Amino acid sequence: MESCAQKKAYKAKDYKSDLKPIWCPGCGDYTVLNSITRALAELALPPEEVAVVSGIGCSSRIPAYTSVYGFHGVHGRALPVATGLKLARPDLTVLVTGGDGDGFSIGGNHFLHACRRNVDLTYIVMDNQVYGMTKGQASPTTSPDWEGSKLTPEGTGINPFQPLVVGLASGANFIARVSASDPINMAQIIVEAIRHPGFSLVQVLSPCVTFRPEQAEWRDIVRTAVVDYTDDAARAARRLMTDDGFNVGKVLFKGSRPPFRPEFEHTDGSVAELEARFAL
Amino acid sequence: MSDTQANTAIDSLPELLAHALAMETEAAERYEELADQMETHRKAGVAAIFRRLEKEEKAHLVELNEMCSRYELPHYAPWDFKWATGESPEAIAIDQVSYKLSVRGAVELALVHERRACDFYAGIAQRASDDEVRILASQFAAEEREHIGWLESCLADCGPDDGAIDDPDPPLSQE
Amino acid sequence: MTVNSVSLVIAGSGGAGVVTAGSLLLDAAAKAGWYALMSRSSGPQIRGGEAAAMLRFATEPIMSHDDSFHLLMAIDWDNITRFSAEIPLTADSLIVGDPVHGDAPAGLLAGRPRQAALPMTDIAAKIENGRPNMVALGAIAAMIGLPPEAMQAVVEKALKKKGAAAIDASMSAFHAGFAAAADLPAIPKLPAVSAASGPRWSITGNEATGLGVIRGGVRFVAAYPITPATEVLEWLAPSLAKVGGMLVQAEDELASINQIIGASYGGVPAMTATSGPGLSLMIESLGLAVAAEVPLVVVDVMRVGPSTGIATKSEQSDLNIAVYGLHGDAPHVVVAANSVSDCLFTTQWAVHLAEAMQVPTIVLTDQAMGQARAILPRPAELAFIGQREVAKAAVEGERYKRYAMTGSGVSPMAIPGTPGLTHTADGLEHNEFGTPSSQASDHQAQMDKRNRKISQYNYGDHWADIEDFGGGPGDAPKEAPLGGTAIITWGSSTGPAREALQRLSAAGGKARLISVRLIAPVQPEKMAEALRGIKRAVVVEQSHSGQFYRMLRAFYELPAQTVSLHQGGPLSFGPQQILDQLNQLNAGSA
Repeated sequence: MESCAQKKAYKAKDYKSDLKPIWCPGCGDYTVLNSITRALAELALPPEEVAVVSGIGCSSRIPAYTSVYGFHGVHGRALPVATGLKLARPDLTVLVTGGDGDGFSIGGNHFLHACRRNVDLTYIVMDNQVYGMTKGQASPTTSPDWEGSKLTPEGTGINPFQPLVVGLASGANFIARVSASDPINMAQIIVEAIRHPGFSLVQVLSPCVTFRPEQAEWRDIVRTAVVDYTDDAARAARRLMTDDGFNVGKVLFKGSRPPFRPEFEHTDGSVAELEARFAL
Repeated sequence: MSDTQANTAIDSLPELLAHALAMETEAAERYEELADQMETHRKAGVAAIFRRLEKEEKAHLVELNEMCSRYELPHYAPWDFKWATGESPEAIAIDQVSYKLSVRGAVELALVHERRACDFYAGIAQRASDDEVRILASQFAAEEREHIGWLESCLADCGPDDGAIDDPDPPLSQE
Repeated sequence: MTVNSVSLVIAGSGGAGVVTAGSLLLDAAAKAGWYALMSRSSGPQIRGGEAAAMLRFATEPIMSHDDSFHLLMAIDWDNITRFSAEIPLTADSLIVGDPVHGDAPAGLLAGRPRQAALPMTDIAAKIENGRPNMVALGAIAAMIGLPPEAMQAVVEKALKKKGAAAIDASMSAFHAGFAAAADLPAIPKLPAVSAASGPRWSITGNEATGLGVIRGGVRFVAAYPITPATEVLEWLAPSLAKVGGMLVQAEDELASINQIIGASYGGVPAMTATSGPGLSLMIESLGLAVAAEVPLVVVDVMRVGPSTGIATKSEQSDLNIAVYGLHGDAPHVVVAANSVSDCLFTTQWAVHLAEAMQVPTIVLTDQAMGQARAILPRPAELAFIGQREVAKAAVEGERYKRYAMTGSGVSPMAIPGTPGLTHTADGLEHNEFGTPSSQASDHQAQMDKRNRKISQYNYGDHWADIEDFGGGPGDAPKEAPLGGTAIITWGSSTGPAREALQRLSAAGGKARLISVRLIAPVQPEKMAEALRGIKRAVVVEQSHSGQFYRMLRAFYELPAQTVSLHQGGPLSFGPQQILDQLNQLNAGSA
């Protein structure tokens, strides 16, 4: 415990904008927003030194609801925008928020390569196994027999995407799963994720109260993972492969790969020297 | 020990004030958030309940802030507070509300949480050895009882059951 | 012929060293004080395919290839006829082949060129480690008047690491070829130049493009490899590092465009380079950059489309997608370079425009200029440096408006890190604060503003290169039979068009060249001024459907007698082809 003279410079509310979210009452995304703002306050980061980047979807609305710098781009491309921003501005703390469709379907390739590249970003994915903005279609994480969408009336028939397994295999440096039903734990994990160097992946089980009302049960189904994190990718892989997707509340994997840091400083040249190479 | 009780005894004024400040702030902000959610979704009746509670909590906060300014309060990370609940006892969890929430449902929900807040303070008052802590915690508990009283009268006005509200229109497509 | 030049092709299959020979020849020509242009053509193989180096040398600056080649030096004949359309030969041309490979294929002989034999293999065999391509270079040098000392210097530099023996072997082969050329028929020789007319550079269009963006202030580049744009990115990677910038290889073009959006949002001027297929993938996010008002530059080194098309060859057929490809009403800037040298000017200008107007800017170059190496006069120093209007500090009591309504349409941009000015940049339609809005009034106001900032901008004289040949277009057709005529063109077609007009002028004719650099937004008033007194025009472009001509018809008042000269790639226009069209138009109206 530290004294309030050193800390407490910021309150969670300082990181919220005046804009009122359009999410349905009861949506898990409200909780994620609250956990992010709690985490930022705990880290005492000046709002202007933080950026939140998103794509398209319910959860991708988060940037405008914060008081930090925000970028709300196109569907599926939040990770490359964040990558460019963080590489160009390593002084900023960059978070990426989005949903399962945005991140794992249309943005799937960027997800793989963001994990691989290991830029120092924190990626918070609100996974509700559904496309909410377009009235509830199956997403990559939807179970194959879910018949709730007119688009796939007999279910998708295809296996759900396993974000954490794929993230681990692709090289994510920090992996955790949390539940929207435990906002304080989520805030704590987000703090850890931001502090951990490299690409941090936080999957949030965030129920869609409108199109997946049965997900209200998640709050009773989820359980706190019994084991603490490992830094051994092989062990983490075994754990994740045998996991039912409801072990939450703890960091599952912490890697020690150094973050991607290309050169961004003058080496030895000037524009005139570049031009001189063309002169005869 | 019920789940609203402190895990560890709170036995100093700064500790009590730090907890009270966090809990009342969170309650005020949560009521505001819920009122906003309901207003955004044109649920005027439910919104009014939460808005009223927001105002009550904020009024309470003015006094509390004034009191706190006289002490150097310890800093707690959100997960270090001594209540056994995740969020503070008075804050309604987001996943407890829904678009279909009735006025009666909202009042009942608020009542549960105001009672939890009251119990939290009462528990501290009961177990504290420090006189100042005991007196202040009791005073806080009494203030919570005022909210409880108001909510109980609201509940009586709600009638026996106005049930969950449904919407004949389907959800809309956005982005 | 007005330009004192000689054109030749060195062709052969993989392993023949054609590309190396072409580069050595170009470098030696540079030492000799000449100007030059070199393009390459090759088969689809990664290694070992047939290849041709097409070179033109002159004693004054040149911007295009000639109508035909004086010399085809064939080290062998393997698959050479695949290039025959790209190697126009006439009765004045000379084919030199190696007898060990038999006779020249009939496909090369349509223009009845002269033929001669040079036993390159046999001559090379008599020299330890001698190679036929060096024998060929020796013969070429003798035939075109290139001093052997120039080649000596170039070979010494190129083979420095391989040692003196390798240099001696190469130069022995060269000299043997030089001597053997005495028996070959003559082709035009260039005079020796004692001193070049001014400082010269040896540069490719793709390198010039890279230099242009660095000069303009770009310090972040995202890259995904694609022919023929890759060399822009390969040049930039080490060069950016030298000047405090960075290049990142992205996972695809969707990532590269979005990475530069992120970097530019962070305040660092950014660009990427691609070709048609990559541009197609970037289009959605270019719309994002329009809506969110993020400055950036995308260079499209055009190749033959649609789809994968012909990846290694040139076409001017991405004009439509560059101008009209974005969904919604999405005002943005499209500029086009019109020569190897102009790649530098136009990309530097593009960075300036993008930053000044906070708008995505597409630069169109093409394979022909991008992958061509030229020896050209040193490009001028330009003052264009990207200058973004930045919001520096919060105004007390006022919430920052990222998309504030201003007279110019440009709103001062807050860069992350600036206290008090946090906001969310959004691709959703928004109000002045950046808050998403679906209201008609906000959409109208923001569309007006986004359009205003690029339509009111003062582009100065750079919108087009306008040159008068033969003393200008003339005021009345009666004064000069060829007066009142213009060529309107863009991009790579500018080179042969300019040379066509040089020939016209040498024959006593007059005409105006209008090479449009600013493709969008259109400049009807400036075009009207440029077309004053013009009665007849030929629109020249390398596109099967006449994309440029149709765009001109849509947005400009053209002379009543305007004809479209258009053809798809990969064949480029020769100057004579354009001149013939011009003469035909003039004859028809006489």
